Amino acid sequence: MQLVYRGNAAAFEVIYDRHADAAFSLAFRMCRQRALAEDVVQEAFLSLWRSNARYDRGRGSVRTWALGIVHNRAIDALRRRAVRDRGLVDDEGIEERLPARERTELEFARRDEAREIRDALEQLPVEQSKVIELAYFGGLTHVEIASMLDEPVGTIKGRMRLGLTKMRMALGDPAEVVP
Amino acid sequence: MSDERRLDSELCGDAASYVLGAMPQDEHRAFVEHLKGCVVCREEVASLQVVVSSLPAAVPQLPAGADLKRRVMGVVEREAREQQAARGIGASETPRRARRLLPAGLISWRPALAGAAALAVIALLAVIAFGGGSGSSGGGTRVFHAQVTVPNASAAVRVSGGHAALSVANMPQSPSGHVYELWIKRAGQPQPTDVLFTVSNGGAATVGVPGSIEGVSEILVTAEPLGGSKAPTSTPVIVAPLTT
Repeated sequence: MQLVYRGNAAAFEVIYDRHADAAFSLAFRMCRQRALAEDVVQEAFLSLWRSNARYDRGRGSVRTWALGIVHNRAIDALRRRAVRDRGLVDDEGIEERLPARERTELEFARRDEAREIRDALEQLPVEQSKVIELAYFGGLTHVEIASMLDEPVGTIKGRMRLGLTKMRMALGDPAEVVP
Repeated sequence: MSDERRLDSELCGDAASYVLGAMPQDEHRAFVEHLKGCVVCREEVASLQVVVSSLPAAVPQLPAGADLKRRVMGVVEREAREQQAARGIGASETPRRARRLLPAGLISWRPALAGAAALAVIALLAVIAFGGGSGSSGGGTRVFHAQVTVPNASAAVRVSGGHAALSVANMPQSPSGHVYELWIKRAGQPQPTDVLFTVSNGGAATVGVPGSIEGVSEILVTAEPLGGSKAPTSTPVIVAPLTT
């Protein structure tokens, strides 16, 4: 990262290559539109490049940090453009439409860890997994979720807390999924 | 218990919403403040953050695509070149020394006595710095350091083969609704060019000076309304005398 801060484009490209797919996957899961997801990823990586966001080694891996930036940018994009409220057509099934060459390049190396996390999420009571998904992937605030589900805000916060705590127990002490 | 303290205590237990990014802005700000003084919440945030950090791995993995990489790397490589050019300017201490000796106010837009005095001092410093010429030369390229009114910013004109390019570093963004415009001064008033530019987030830019620089005595930059102006409407922020 020090090389990136010094303006080394080649060092940045290494970081990009390592994390761009995960970044795009997260952005696409949140935005559900390829173009918007790409804008989010571009914005996030350029922020990283321009050192607007500083990496703190003590707070996790570069990947965790980069995906955190992507997540925040995606939330900003969702809230700014209110895409979810406009009823725009999602790009669901995009992976099925990818050219075969690209599909063969999909990254499966971490699928065991991914499955474990998905299982932990799916094993939660649906009302808990739902609020976690709406918050994290949907970019909704707990106030918006409470309004959407017609539940008190305190109930939503409690479900978030319970759900995440159960996931933590199910996952043990999850190491970083990706170094 | 004061209202403020009650509000603070009510924030305990909101760690999950915080790590999920689900707090409205005002609550988020309050919670960040709360965290500074609440060990219990800090520990809960750390504990739950590990889980939240793993959530991206749960989504189907898709390739980012070659077009996106081209877009991102196109910007990155361009800005890397600009940064390298800017660092080339910053390598010399001469411009900084000159700026300290010359208050910005001495650089007057009209050819007043103060401006003439300033340029005279610049020329003197340049003679001292470069041993007889105002521009440093190397491999047929001459570099003329400019006076910049913005603290910590720097600029230089590189002349090679009768053509010139201006590089700037640490410049602020042009004011809202404005761009930087490049001017050429031979005899008389500065002449406008079609070079309108902005700087990168890092404050860097490199622009070519159009045409031949034969007979050009100064390169100037002003902030002008979008679309540029036919005559300067503001005091130059950059003055680069091409004295030989």
